Amino acid sequence: MTDDLALVERFLRARRDDAFRALYRAHTPALYGLALRLTGGDQTEAEDLVQESWVRAVRGLSSFRARSALRSWLCGVLVNVRRERIRLDWRAVEGADVEAATDTSDPDDALDLERAIGALPEGARDVFVLHEVYGYTHSEIAEMLGIVEGTSKSQLTRARTLLRNALP
Amino acid sequence: MRDLPREQQPSRALEERVVSTLVAAGLVRRRRAWPVWAAAAAAAFVVAIGVWVAHPARPAAPGNTYVLLLYEDSAYRPPLAGQGAERLAEMRRWADSLDARGTLERAGRLVGPGPIDGLFMVRAADDSAAARIAATCPYHKWGGRVEVKRFED
Repeated sequence: MTDDLALVERFLRARRDDAFRALYRAHTPALYGLALRLTGGDQTEAEDLVQESWVRAVRGLSSFRARSALRSWLCGVLVNVRRERIRLDWRAVEGADVEAATDTSDPDDALDLERAIGALPEGARDVFVLHEVYGYTHSEIAEMLGIVEGTSKSQLTRARTLLRNALP
Repeated sequence: MRDLPREQQPSRALEERVVSTLVAAGLVRRRRAWPVWAAAAAAAFVVAIGVWVAHPARPAAPGNTYVLLLYEDSAYRPPLAGQGAERLAEMRRWADSLDARGTLERAGRLVGPGPIDGLFMVRAADDSAAARIAATCPYHKWGGRVEVKRFED
């Protein structure tokens, strides 16, 4: 956290690329990992997502006040960028997602677990990934996604139910 | 579930892509090597500044030593192609004029991260006199910032 703050302050002093690269290298593997999970392993889409998230994050970095860890703040930016993109995408019909989640074949394969997670409805998937894979608390997730804790909990329950049905 | 990988490395090209996008959007500035006038000064300062520094016998002028810190921050306009030598010459003329007045004690570049690119140590009667010297630094013309601090041993 302290290191992150030092990196942020160093970057904000002159907005130089070397200072940005230090931030980028510290956090991009986590952002890319999250992006891959949210995009069902689509590397091109995940990289685009990371790129757009960094642009968004750098625009807002001066307002980052260390209320939360930088990592979770950045993950929140990425999840929200992803959500905005999905809203512009005709494929993001929630019913289709649910259907895909329950249509997973060969559930013993870990790849199918990932695929099933990727096919969860947007809200449930985001909460599930952040909570179950990344270990964020409901309180942190609520702050990242701009929702209340109760919604985070109910989305997690929903995700678990859908996955149980999809993966016997 | 938490055994699933949380971190993964994207392609190496992504970093350059992100930096280029940020630079194009005006959100990040590329770190140049030490500004052209001073890059050359790595050599030139060895000769020119090295000569100034090599005057330890010169008696100190009355007053205090001040440090002029040259900041290359967001307003700094790097030299366009072909302007580097001109800037170097101008900085050297300025430093020579300080030296001729017995004002310059030391000058050099600062290597490492951060926006401060160079420093001049000058002798001035008081804070106002030091500020007046700093105001004559050509670095201002290019959007650079010159900060003045009194140096105490």
